[in-house]
Amino acid sequence: MRAKVWTFALRSLARQPGRAVLGILGVAAVGALLFDMLLLSRGLLVSFRALLDSAGFDVRVMAADAPAFARPRIADAETAAAEIRALPDVDEVASLRLGSAIVTGPDGGKHDIFFIGADAETRRRPWILLEGSDLGASDSGGPPALVVNRRLATALLLRPGSELTLRGDCTRGSATAAPPVRFRIAGFAAFPFDDPKAMTAAARLADFGRTCGLDEKSDADLFLVASREGRGPAAAVRAIRALRSDLHAFSNEEIVARFQQVGFSYFRQISAVLSTITLFFGFLLITVLLTVSVNQRFAEIAALRALGFTRRRVVLDVLAQAVLLVGAGGILSLPLGLALARWLESILHAMPEIPAAMHFFAFEPRALATHALLLALTAVLAALYPMRLVSRLPIAATLRSEMVT
Amino acid sequence: MSPPVVEARGVTRTFPMPAGPVVAVRDLSVTIATGEFVSVCGPSGCGKSTLLHILGCVDTPSTGELLVDGRDVSTLGDAARSALRLSKIGFVFQRFFLLPMLTAAENVELPQAEAGVSRAERRSRTSALLDYVGLAHRAHHRPSQLSGGEAQRVAIARALANRPRLLLADEPTGELDQATGQQIVGLFERVHADGTTVVVVTHDPAIAARTPRMLSMRDGRIEDGGSR
Repeated sequence: MRAKVWTFALRSLARQPGRAVLGILGVAAVGALLFDMLLLSRGLLVSFRALLDSAGFDVRVMAADAPAFARPRIADAETAAAEIRALPDVDEVASLRLGSAIVTGPDGGKHDIFFIGADAETRRRPWILLEGSDLGASDSGGPPALVVNRRLATALLLRPGSELTLRGDCTRGSATAAPPVRFRIAGFAAFPFDDPKAMTAAARLADFGRTCGLDEKSDADLFLVASREGRGPAAAVRAIRALRSDLHAFSNEEIVARFQQVGFSYFRQISAVLSTITLFFGFLLITVLLTVSVNQRFAEIAALRALGFTRRRVVLDVLAQAVLLVGAGGILSLPLGLALARWLESILHAMPEIPAAMHFFAFEPRALATHALLLALTAVLAALYPMRLVSRLPIAATLRSEMVT
Repeated sequence: MSPPVVEARGVTRTFPMPAGPVVAVRDLSVTIATGEFVSVCGPSGCGKSTLLHILGCVDTPSTGELLVDGRDVSTLGDAARSALRLSKIGFVFQRFFLLPMLTAAENVELPQAEAGVSRAERRSRTSALLDYVGLAHRAHHRPSQLSGGEAQRVAIARALANRPRLLLADEPTGELDQATGQQIVGLFERVHADGTTVVVVTHDPAIAARTPRMLSMRDGRIEDGGSR
């Protein structure tokens, strides 16, 4: 469209500034909701994928394809891990034990914490060290090493070098009779799957077993596997499945795809339904505004046609007005949508056991592109009816009717 | 005799209505020669405006032929008719229909911009036209800031913007008081004197009396002053 069409449309809108501002604000509200729904539709997937990838392991191996609370442990984990580690498609394997422990704070209060036992020989760790030193392969005398998250450190006034006593509580449903174990705080770490209120500590597998009083020391809840560079996780998964058909290996991609089909599909569906409703309201808003505007200008449009404006030209004017309204509202909707997403995120994160690093609303360039595309489509669809009115406007009859009225 | 600018041959215009078709213009033939100043008068509903709309190519006759500059325009498509109106026909309406968001100068520039006239040429032509209608000092005023007579003069300047061969005016003094109406008729006389063919629809016999040729209509037919 030529510049004069845009200029003319802009001035047509500007003649009713109140109506134009209301239209733009309406589109901004609709656009903000739409933008949030688009961020929500893939937010959990994107952030879940980022969480899975954060430690550098791209394959997970479990004893059964069952939820964590009902999943059996991998028996004879040392042997299984060694076999998997020997595969040419595999770079590294880390055994993990998951449990809980009780610690006593400086005020004498007891705290339940998440307790993790992990291989200390691997280069990669399922946490990110923030301060101090990591778990070493062994300790040179003194209490065994422990890394803790910041929340635990703050609650118990810990710093690297402090000591902390843990009473293991690791068997599902039954208390552990093992004596408490004193640990030395080696460092602070961020555990990707921690929820904002979680207090978490991690120790070497042997120290985990001692704290929890476990007999089956070589069992593991999970293997974290890093595929060899250039081979990829799919090859590593295939090799592990061929080697140990009794185990269940999944690449991060497969886990995400599974969640996409099951757990997160609700968000996609909700997002799709709300997006559709939102767009429909946007469509109605623009259609009503433009139709009212066109109805009020019938005589003026007929006069322009009589002066030599083509049908295409007056129709383009209506389309340009729709695009300007939706364009301005759409641009305004982005900061509004981001602010709204941040607010909704804080509300949703108040739910228990949601990892702090997990986001319901995740920004992706494709969300922006989809947002722009959907709004553009809405603008065109919303303009169709008023465009039709203008294109079918009978010049002579309209002028005659204006004279009579 | 000068060649005709527009010529209607056996034109009938029927409007379908729920109670049956209404014939607004009935088997009418009229020729408007180059340089004429013609008034069309008659009682309300006699078909004056319909005839004007047909002559101005904004309405199509149900039957009959319409020739503009000797060319049959009855079969032209919408775009071609728009182009014809833009370049050859100027319209002046009873209610002015100036765009309220544009200044007087911008309203006069509008048809020129549509015709693809360069900005410099538009400015110069607009300035000359507003001067011609005596409103150079009101160039940057919006229609809401103009009196009725001033608005109609701007509308006349707009109608003349693309140097039309034919200027059509539908009750151009209908919204104005008598003195202002006389001034507007005076302006039409000047436009005519400067070489433009003018056709004015009016129900005011005093205005019709000032035109060299008067077409008197009744019941869709020209009673007097038809084909010359």
